[in-house]
Amino acid sequence: MFRATYLLLICIVIIPTLPGIIGVMLSSFSYIPPVGLDSLSLQGYADVLNWPGISTSSLLTLFTALTSTYLALTICFAILQNLWRNKHWKRVELVLSPLLAVPHVAFAIGFAFLFAPTGLTTRVISTLFGVEFDDISTSWLVHDPYAIGLTLALALKEVPFLLLMSIPILQQLEIEKLSKVGSSLGYSPSQLWIKVVLPQWLAKMRFPLFAVVAYASSVVDFALILGPNTPPTLAMLVWQWFNDPDLQLLPRAASGAILLFILTSFLLLLVLLIEKFATHYFKRWQYSGRAGISLPGASFFGIITLLSIAIFPLMLIWSYAQRWRFPDIMPSRFSDRFWESEWPSFLPIISQSIAIALITAMVTLCLAVLAHEYRIKNKLHIPGYVVAIPMLIPQLSILFGLQIATLYVSSESYYLWVIWSHIFFAFPFVYLSLDGPWKSYNQNYTRAALSLGKSPLQAFFMVKSRLLLPSILYAWAIGASVSLAQYLPTLILGGGRIATVTTEAVALSSGFDRRVTAIYALWQALLPFVFFTTAILASRLQHKARVKPAIYQESVPNDATSRKPRHP
Amino acid sequence: MTLRLENLVIRKQSSTPLFSPINITIDSGEVAVVMGPSGCGKSTLLNLIAGHLSDEFNFEGRVLLQDNDLSYQPAHLRHVGILFQDDLLFPHLNIWQNLAFALPNSVKGIQRENRAIEALRKVSLEQLAYSYPEQISGGQRARVSLVRMLLAEPLVVLLDEPFSKLDKDLRIQFRQWVFEQLSKANIPTLLVTHDEGDVPIHSQLVQLDWNITNVR
Repeated sequence: MFRATYLLLICIVIIPTLPGIIGVMLSSFSYIPPVGLDSLSLQGYADVLNWPGISTSSLLTLFTALTSTYLALTICFAILQNLWRNKHWKRVELVLSPLLAVPHVAFAIGFAFLFAPTGLTTRVISTLFGVEFDDISTSWLVHDPYAIGLTLALALKEVPFLLLMSIPILQQLEIEKLSKVGSSLGYSPSQLWIKVVLPQWLAKMRFPLFAVVAYASSVVDFALILGPNTPPTLAMLVWQWFNDPDLQLLPRAASGAILLFILTSFLLLLVLLIEKFATHYFKRWQYSGRAGISLPGASFFGIITLLSIAIFPLMLIWSYAQRWRFPDIMPSRFSDRFWESEWPSFLPIISQSIAIALITAMVTLCLAVLAHEYRIKNKLHIPGYVVAIPMLIPQLSILFGLQIATLYVSSESYYLWVIWSHIFFAFPFVYLSLDGPWKSYNQNYTRAALSLGKSPLQAFFMVKSRLLLPSILYAWAIGASVSLAQYLPTLILGGGRIATVTTEAVALSSGFDRRVTAIYALWQALLPFVFFTTAILASRLQHKARVKPAIYQESVPNDATSRKPRHP
Repeated sequence: MTLRLENLVIRKQSSTPLFSPINITIDSGEVAVVMGPSGCGKSTLLNLIAGHLSDEFNFEGRVLLQDNDLSYQPAHLRHVGILFQDDLLFPHLNIWQNLAFALPNSVKGIQRENRAIEALRKVSLEQLAYSYPEQISGGQRARVSLVRMLLAEPLVVLLDEPFSKLDKDLRIQFRQWVFEQLSKANIPTLLVTHDEGDVPIHSQLVQLDWNITNVR
């Protein structure tokens, strides 16, 4: 029974990658029988290569993905170098969870509100310093042709994720001991961080960097809000092709998705090569002597925190702004009529988003727990890197193939497919967030329960699940938040018939009414907080109800005793 | 070069001192030993001298190297070398690279590799130069760790129970070798240990025992 359920799990969240990739491959060669294309040809690729601006789009993708990833990495390193385990570190940990909970789309909309030509920054500069902006139709940071704003926003948004990933790594590296050795050898703390910590940390950050660069190269929703339009990044271009009403042009979109897949693979390889060159092949800099600067990490962290927090009041003000002329810093008139007029259509969308998120979170959590339990009991199991594959492949490249596959099964079951796609993409996040807690759990507690006559199921529900409840609840919140943030899966497998706060927020962000956009973005940002707060409150209530025992073995890092969400 | 601890007292926050004031002078080539039960402040004393005293502690008195007061100098500028219980060789660097890491900045380019290998040759460990720490034995790692520390040209050496994790035979052998090397280097040394067998003959002994400090 256990094995059969595990096989079912594999069918739901592991195997679909294959039809996804095979589907898009066949489609790229013009083989899509459901729409009447049943002979192989290279026309799709020819269309892609002949598309004006395709090389610029590809270069933009490479530039934004690589620059934003390494900018985020540098900022993350600067913050760690400056603040790791010093008197301010507790504040960093405190702020980290809320920063992570801010969805990408809400962050991008907030960023646009701040840096658009008529955004708050321009208003403040204009009002406070008397600078007059002759041309307020172009912006340096929103839809700019060089994707500078997109790159910067992506970098800032990824820093909290990289910071979170760094915590268990640095715990493993025992920085305190390294600091003592370093200073006894005459190295200042900042020199030690650059010469000793950086190479070891970088080598262990490979997977988080893969996830960040893959996301940056293939992101569509974020790029739609902030990215360039003429030409757009490759992911946006492929998305535009997918939306072409002429189904005969689908091979072009599929070929674009393949090109995106190749570009992303190239970027992953590049990240690996950069790491290898910096840490292995050219390591002279590591032992060349005492040199290295202290980066302004505290300032970086302050800016990221301020930006992420500032978007909330800004969105709230916009949602009530009746009249807000440029360059006024505040609206001259407020009104709640936008909330009133939007609410009737908005309420079903929120309910739908929450329902999908809750179902996704529950199912994904059950599957992830099952996968971990199976891993403990069986040598033959799916390795972690296979589980993580959906995090590294562009969503567009899998989803198209999956959409084609659904046409063969049941093309009308939109809800089912959307929920399943959310489960598919949320599973790696939930699974990886439970990885540390499951590995650090002291198995002797279960053995003790079994020796007292409890069945394996009783031992799990009465002992293990209770001891690991905080981590389980956080994993649930992560599942719900990941589901809530899904844009492409909802649109593609929902056939445009299922609306969530995310799809609506992105759709509205390209329009001109910032008030309505602000309402949707605000809710999109608030819902993950609700999920995480629920998880925190529930685990605190449970924690109060019992005395906290020493349930974890000491030596394993990334321990589950931390009460912060382990956002992957 | 002389290390002098003058009326040195450490307190945890504002509680009573961990031990009564220490006054001791250690000359070049001399070894002083600090002994005492767990928790009496031996490692805290070393942390204070090395500049790693955590915020929860405060101290009175002075740590003087010749006439230079180290008490408030940043740790990396004190020239205080430490040999820890663990070898703490950097796992991402091979053995000669670990040694090159400690060399002064004035040694540049290929000279760093040459100097590191020369230092290994002096202690008959040159065959390990291109191995990584995980590939050599615990005893070899301990030796390399001392060589690395000495290459940084410390003016004082602190030994923080460096023999405690070694097995009995290796411990005796390594201990003898360490004192030989330190004697050659002619540096004042302060050793913290639990084991009376570690105490070299004719060394000063500081016995810390809950508020009592005896110097013999």
